[in-house]
Parts: sequence; structure tokens; C-alpha cells
Amino acid sequence: MRIMIIGGGNVGYYLTKSLSAEKHHIMIVEEDQARCEQIVSTLGSKRVEITNGDGTNVECLREAGIFNTDALIAVTGHDQNNLVACQLAKDYFGVKQTISRVKNPKNIRVFKKLGVDSVISSTERIAGIINQELDWTDVNKLLKDRSSNVRIREISVEHGSLFNNKCLKELGLPKGLILIAVLRGNEAIIPSGDTRLEAGDAVIVMGEEEDIESIYGQFKEMRK
Amino acid sequence: MYIIIAGCSKVGASLVNRLSEEGHNVVVIDRDKSSFAQLGSGSNCMTIVGVPIDEDVLKEAGIEAADALAAVTTDDNTNIMIAQIARQLYRVPKVLVQTKDPERQRVLSFMGLEAICPTTLTVESFFTALAKGETEK
Repeated sequence: MRIMIIGGGNVGYYLTKSLSAEKHHIMIVEEDQARCEQIVSTLGSKRVEITNGDGTNVECLREAGIFNTDALIAVTGHDQNNLVACQLAKDYFGVKQTISRVKNPKNIRVFKKLGVDSVISSTERIAGIINQELDWTDVNKLLKDRSSNVRIREISVEHGSLFNNKCLKELGLPKGLILIAVLRGNEAIIPSGDTRLEAGDAVIVMGEEEDIESIYGQFKEMRK
Repeated sequence: MYIIIAGCSKVGASLVNRLSEEGHNVVVIDRDKSSFAQLGSGSNCMTIVGVPIDEDVLKEAGIEAADALAAVTTDDNTNIMIAQIARQLYRVPKVLVQTKDPERQRVLSFMGLEAICPTTLTVESFFTALAKGETEK
């Protein structure tokens, strides 16, 4: 595929590095001349074609070779520039696929409505991960305040885990460790010994910190 | 008319002053509070400090009820984004964009946005004034 990347910052640079290794033809448009030279000298002109200019300018995009582009990825640090680059690519030059990064997660909806095919927000991704963890912190604080060593944690059952497709009674969990719930899709199951775990389940466990640690690996470990 | 002016630049501020003198209901948005100092003392418009490409800020400015919006910040792409949110997401009947680049003006009309380019207008005025001087000779 011929892929054009708008913005040669860190994201653009590492994208180029991984995509060009997969035999894609990469073109970068970057405004800063010094940065352009730096990218070419580290990646080499064989792996990347670089154009120094404004990726929201029609002339510049033309010069960079937008007419032969299959996908455009906009990863500058400014949401408004990413939006305009994607729209010019799609509406003006007929590029089939446009992907944009947004800084402000609220712009995900706006960008999608304005025709950008895929919108990615690292802020939202990280916040999503943290929220999952955070839900338990209040509970754990409460437990800790009672000077107990008991914690609650959420552990996901990975594909190929030793516990995948096993009944709870077969797991050989340490005594004193309780599986409070199994979250599967939109369902929360209060488990019994006959409940069978599936890859993708999230299990809520309560027990001594060390006991949780001792079984944690088995949820993740690959079946040999 | 209920009008939103995004960007309290020289152009934005003068526009706000004129419009509120005429009795229009005007809301002006700018990320920099000090820019509101350019507004006339008689101007009874509403001011909002915030990034105008933030949908929440636009909602606070009453974009759902606005009759018209002019995007006149100093950044062309910011203006384009505001204008598109106004036009396509909130169906504001009249939307105008300021762009510094005459080249971009053509692209914007292709995208269905009504653009005003100060550069083009200035050149036009100079050109007319110069040509007029020529014929008077």
C-alpha cells in the first residue's frame, strides 16, 4: 500500500518505521525542515519519501504524491490540522482511507461525523485502561484501612491461558481466595464451582495479596 | 439575529462591535481573555473564554440556536474545523470562514464553505485604487 503520513513527530516517525518494514511505501509530509532531514538521515531515503511542507495545503499534498495514495494518516499535534488533512485527502483527492489521531477525545465523534474513517485518541485509550483499574481503588483503600492484607482485583483470562475452558473447581485456587464474579460480554456471572472460564472473560478476585499474585500468572500464561 | 463570532482578533472584535451596534445578539469566543479588551465599552455581547474547536465551548455559546457563525481566529485550519462543526453537526444556516491563503479559498468553496480571504480583499482594494489613479491621470 502507498501510505501518506502527515506529521513527522514521534508518532509519525515510529509509524513509518513499523509500516515501512511491512513493505508499505511511506510518504511523510512534515512542516519543519530540520525534522525532515533528521528523519531521512535516520531512516534512509529508501524507506521513506519525505516532503517538507504544510500537509493541509493542496499544492503540498499534490507535490507529495497524494494522487497515488491508498491511505492517509494524520498525526500532527493539532487536531484541526489533522481534520483538514484528512478531509482534503478524502473529498478533494479521493483517497480511500483516512485515519486521524486526536488529542482531545471529544473530537472522536466530531471527526467521525465529518467523514474521517478511523479516529484514534491515546488519551481515551489510556483513560479507559486506568478507569478499569481505578474502580477498585476505593474498595482496596477501604480494605487497607482495616489493616487487612485483602485486596480485590480484576484479571482477564487470555487466549491460550492455562485457565481457559476450565471449571472453577478444576483451577486449584488457594484457600481463602474467592472469585466474586465472572464478567463476560455484558453479563456478570456469580460463579459456582461448575462455572467454566472462557478466554476474554474478566474475573474479579478477592483474597490475600500474595495469593492473588500466585495465581495471576496462570490467567495469562500460555498452555504448553 | 443570533450570531457567534469565533476568535476575538482585530477582525473579530471590530465585527462584534459593528454587529452589536446594529442590535444583533452576539456571542464571541476566544481562548485568550485579554483579547476581549478590544471590544467596545458599549458592546453588550456575551464573551466566552475557551478553545472554539471544542464542541462543549460551542454549545455553551449557543450554537444549537445560532442563526449565523463567523470563524475568524488567526489559524485557518481552526476556522475550517469550527465552520464544519457549525454547518454539518449543528446546521447553522449561515457560516463564514476567514482564510489567509487565497489558494485555500478555492478549496473551501469546493468543500461547500463560504470563505472570505483578507489577502484577496486587500489586494483587490490596492489594485482598484492603483488602477483608478491610472485612469485619473
